Amino acid sequence: MAFTKRPIAALAFLIALALPVFDATAHDESKYPDWSGQWRRPRGLATQWDQDKPAGVAQQAPLKPEYQKMLEWSIADQAAGGQGLDTRYTCITNGMPRMMAVIQPVEFVILPHITYVHFEAFMPRRIYTDGRDFPKDSEPSFAGYSIGKWSDTDGDGRFDTLEVETRNFKGPRTVEFTGIPLHEDNQTIVKETLSLDKSNPDLMHNIITIIDNAFTRPWTVDKRYRRDRNVMWFEDNCTENNHHVVIGKENYFVNHEGYLMPARKNQAPPDLRFFDAAGK
Amino acid sequence: MLHRIFAILLAAVLPMAPMTASAFDESKYPDFQGQWKRKLGTVNAWDETRRPGLPQDPPLTPEYRKRWEASMADQAAGGQGNDTRVTCISNGMPRMMTILRQLEIFVRPEITLIVFENNLPRRIYTDGRDFTAKDNVPSYNGYSIGKWIDENGDGKYDVLEVETRNFKGPRNYEPSGIPLHDDNETIIRERMYLDKSSPDTLVNEITTIDNALTKPWKVAKNYRREKNAEWYEDLCTENNNHVVIGKENYFMSADGYLMPAKKGQQPPDLRYFNTTGN
Repeated sequence: MAFTKRPIAALAFLIALALPVFDATAHDESKYPDWSGQWRRPRGLATQWDQDKPAGVAQQAPLKPEYQKMLEWSIADQAAGGQGLDTRYTCITNGMPRMMAVIQPVEFVILPHITYVHFEAFMPRRIYTDGRDFPKDSEPSFAGYSIGKWSDTDGDGRFDTLEVETRNFKGPRTVEFTGIPLHEDNQTIVKETLSLDKSNPDLMHNIITIIDNAFTRPWTVDKRYRRDRNVMWFEDNCTENNHHVVIGKENYFVNHEGYLMPARKNQAPPDLRFFDAAGK
Repeated sequence: MLHRIFAILLAAVLPMAPMTASAFDESKYPDFQGQWKRKLGTVNAWDETRRPGLPQDPPLTPEYRKRWEASMADQAAGGQGNDTRVTCISNGMPRMMTILRQLEIFVRPEITLIVFENNLPRRIYTDGRDFTAKDNVPSYNGYSIGKWIDENGDGKYDVLEVETRNFKGPRNYEPSGIPLHDDNETIIRERMYLDKSSPDTLVNEITTIDNALTKPWKVAKNYRREKNAEWYEDLCTENNNHVVIGKENYFMSADGYLMPAKKGQQPPDLRYFNTTGN
């Protein structure tokens, strides 16, 4: 046996065999959960925030009286043809936490230092898992700044849960399309716990807790996403077929012929003071 | 004794091997990580060795040359010409690879993702699929299929070759409005690799084959790596003061009034409004 005659060669061979295991550049995917595929809302659900309740007032958001009134105004405005507090018609991102309602499907790309959440209609979320702390000088954003931590809750040697905290927002942001508002101070903290359902690996839970000064207490919901393994991605450019036109604080509509139209009854036309009546 | 040592070591090592079965061996791929920006001193011209506009001298057919000249004339008069970015629709391919804002590249065995600050990501599939995939529907980004090449035979990939097809439009190459053909039959071939003498320079050789061109148009983009990466959320619509009504682009003043964007521009037709407010 050659190895018995050349012990150094044998050791070198064994060390070489072991090397890939300790290769610092290899990303060992077996340490992370399999979140591959495309994640969608459960069948039959709309985009309400708490998936177990109807949208709007029935959500029973723990709003302070002032913000409850804002929600009620938003719903009334929408019923009259307006947009209420929902800003999505301007094609600005929904931001956090609303973007995790998963209007269009999302994808999770897990790397050791970062987890990317890819959307079809928004810029991606970056969840840093490299041990960094919240920067003191980062620009506020609608998606916020997200820091995550993997944990192996069942001790099987594989991470199964991603805990995420997101801060540093700008606004206005809402929790759902009815206009459930978040506070104008943008001091929101969003905590998420993402993991696969223990009995169904094609179901993901995202336990989302919102801490916000518009609320009387933290608001926690269990968002569920279903996996579609037959993945198809589409490019959703919000502005491409957006017929809403915002002039000043008014939202109008542009019809298929390109004419400006009122978006609600008795809406005044835009002020054209800067146009020369003779078109000069 | 050596038999025993060998057996112990083998027993220790062998169970480790299966652990690497699902490992993504990054050492097989070039280091494209980090943030990539336009080369210092370049603007957003398509051929970065020339100034935007006429100096680009694109090999356009006479018909498309006229369209381009009309675009530049319109822009000189205050219009937007062929440049559709004013509507905040993605620049699409190939223009998005000019990198107006910085981008990030993620290499995985089955896919390479290019993530932008102000456009939806590009997916470059390297899993062996072809263009018959079901989700290959026309888009501004097109459908991209890539292949890794080990050109110098050192056992490590160094070049990513990409072909992109199946577009929708209108699209153009740069702000001056150099047009692509209306038939959207464009084919774009890219070769991405790190500069051998400067690993912080990523070269992207882009060849555009399009029916608006008399011959394929090849340019080389040089991206520089920024190791001290900072990312921002650039939402085109957030501070966009352009208002498009029908085929006309207007401008909105700071106090929210609609304004003409060019001299002599007519105001929008208000036929659907009841001027008495009833």
